[in-house]
Amino acid sequence: MHWIALQLQPEALADTLPDGLPGALADPLTALGWWALQFTPKVARAGLDQAQDLLVLEVLASERLFGGRQQLLQQMFEINKPVVPVKYARGATSLIAIARLKSLQSLPASQPNDLSLATLAAAHPHLPTLARIGCTHWGHLRALPRGGVVRRFGADLLDALDCAYGLKPELYPWLVLPEVFEAQLELLAQVETAPALMFGARRLLNQLQAWLQMRQCGVLALELGWTMDARRNTATTGELVVRTAQPTLDMAHLQRLLSENLARITLPAPVLSLHLRTLETGKLGNQSLSLLPDAQRPGDSLHHLLERLSARLGPENVLHCEAHADHRPEHMQVWQPISFTSKLVANYLYLTGTSGLNDAQIRKKKSAKPSKPTESAGDALYPTWLLARPLKLAVHHNTPVYQGPLTLLAGPQRLEAGWWSATTALRDYFLAHSEQMGLLWIYRERLTAAPKPQAKSSGQSEAGSGPDWYLHGLFG
Amino acid sequence: MGNPLPVPFAKELPSVWRADELARPVGAVVATGHAVLDAQLPAGGWPIGSMVEVLQAHSGQGEWRLLLPGLVRTADGPLVLVGAPHVPFGPGLVGQGLSPQRLLCINTAAPATRLWATEQALRCKEVVAVLAWLPQVRADQLRRLQIAAAEHAKLLFVMRPAQAQSEPSPAVLRLLLSLQAGSDALMLHILKRRGPPLEQPLVLPARAARLSALLTLSRERGVGLGQTDKRLVSTADFTATSKADSAAASTVIPIHVLKRQDHALDRIAAAA
Repeated sequence: MHWIALQLQPEALADTLPDGLPGALADPLTALGWWALQFTPKVARAGLDQAQDLLVLEVLASERLFGGRQQLLQQMFEINKPVVPVKYARGATSLIAIARLKSLQSLPASQPNDLSLATLAAAHPHLPTLARIGCTHWGHLRALPRGGVVRRFGADLLDALDCAYGLKPELYPWLVLPEVFEAQLELLAQVETAPALMFGARRLLNQLQAWLQMRQCGVLALELGWTMDARRNTATTGELVVRTAQPTLDMAHLQRLLSENLARITLPAPVLSLHLRTLETGKLGNQSLSLLPDAQRPGDSLHHLLERLSARLGPENVLHCEAHADHRPEHMQVWQPISFTSKLVANYLYLTGTSGLNDAQIRKKKSAKPSKPTESAGDALYPTWLLARPLKLAVHHNTPVYQGPLTLLAGPQRLEAGWWSATTALRDYFLAHSEQMGLLWIYRERLTAAPKPQAKSSGQSEAGSGPDWYLHGLFG
Repeated sequence: MGNPLPVPFAKELPSVWRADELARPVGAVVATGHAVLDAQLPAGGWPIGSMVEVLQAHSGQGEWRLLLPGLVRTADGPLVLVGAPHVPFGPGLVGQGLSPQRLLCINTAAPATRLWATEQALRCKEVVAVLAWLPQVRADQLRRLQIAAAEHAKLLFVMRPAQAQSEPSPAVLRLLLSLQAGSDALMLHILKRRGPPLEQPLVLPARAARLSALLTLSRERGVGLGQTDKRLVSTADFTATSKADSAAASTVIPIHVLKRQDHALDRIAAAA
């Protein structure tokens, strides 16, 4: 048996840490336990008192996997550093390791007999008595007759001593990595505004990152919930669900999404505590890196940009184009909220390297992607801008007017479509030229159902007889 | 007092820039697609990683004509439009070689949000170019965008009203777009560039080949309202006529147009 005892350094609770480690965690010891689970399944909480502020790890069985004890220690404390600063001690039993950690005699040479009794949890209630009979070290207690010790101090002390010397097996409730991340954080002070919740949420997110790293997955959806002061006679809980398109481990991105969403929330009552829960996680795509340094472009990835824009501006304002087969210009394309199945994203997301594609797939995709648009619906005779809704033009001397009279250059281009729907289009399209605006795309309604009252302002238009003219596009 | 450098010697030194020539290239460029304009720009194209300011009286008047040939030549990647004045019409853009699937439209009216969205888009690594319509913007805000564009090596075009030409701007290239009176051509004043000032405006007759052929045809035939209704010319007919008319037009008219008769809007008509 070979045990390692871990204790948090006091600076683990600080908000900023050196070495690029994440800042404060909601529950650093649990996060440390999750980190330790990658080296051995036997991780447990222990301690000298009720606080249980230590972790003990049994690593003998893992040594061979990691290539020896020295390699394992190097892996643990140099290569794959703990998520928070720790100090550690080792020993043949967990109690020796704890005692060495507590007595700061982390030298493996210090003999168990020389360890102070104050470092043995079971001896704590009897320390004054033991001191008076001259027992200050483990060796002294061990030299006493066993029967007498049991009668005077109870069987617990002797059992603990046997465990400490390896004469009895040590049993702990082993730590298990939970299937679903759920962490709670009591806030130090009542929080009145939603954006101020980010401070606590950041701690929870750091904790989440430790959990995700251990499970080797990324988060797809998470829920930040809060409990509010019940004395206000309003809702006592609230929650916010944030989703991402791809499994992500990037806490900075989640933080930005959360704060964008929190900025729009008004709290009815002060918040007392926060909790964070994962709703959905996904496996992170493994990618093999190139041997040669890649031309790395700095910047955020596209899906981060889209999610951030959608979070602040609303999804209805971040649009991409989808072509439709229709003859009516307003139905030829639909600008709709960006979705992560859209071609825009599908075409370019592989560039981020997080899409889980391997090199061969990417290369295949790159070569398969058409460099030229292949849609057949395009035509150079169409305008480049379309008005969101056709603008009705005034008519003067039988000529449509838009910032001055228009000269018709070409047309008509007859369109009859959409009889199956409510928006039947019976139109003649013309190319018109305006001195102010250049080339315009206008149309004339044919067969308008009822003669519409004409604008009387010009005075010269024939009332009720002229067709309606609309501006529909610009050759900008 | 040192001796002034002899002029031929100064010409050979790469680090000496003479005030009557265009700046030497400082970064990558993308050809604008207009030969006339390329000749007047340092390194012959839109500078990547610098802001280009386009001023015009009415937004939506000439952006695509000016920028589209260059955007088609960019590396494949999303193009972001921030606060576009109208809806970009996909079929029209496809006709000029730009896939509308590359476009990402961000609609927002507030000036501050437009700036934010523009900067976010510039920071994204996949994005190739950002087109932002910023009617109200201060020079320091533009400076910030310019820095973001330079840091992430993006093409950035900022569209502003023509009144802004008297305001200072950090853009390396400022262009004033206007329409040539009496014709459809685009007039381009280069207000600022890395090089000597250009007095004469450039004229860009930039219309897609089919469209300009159609316009030439209609101009020659003198179309007016009233005659147009009766005389319809089919596409095939029109193409054949234009072939006969000008060799230049006939070489660029795509042949597939003749085959495809199913589309209602394809029945382009011009008065005979």
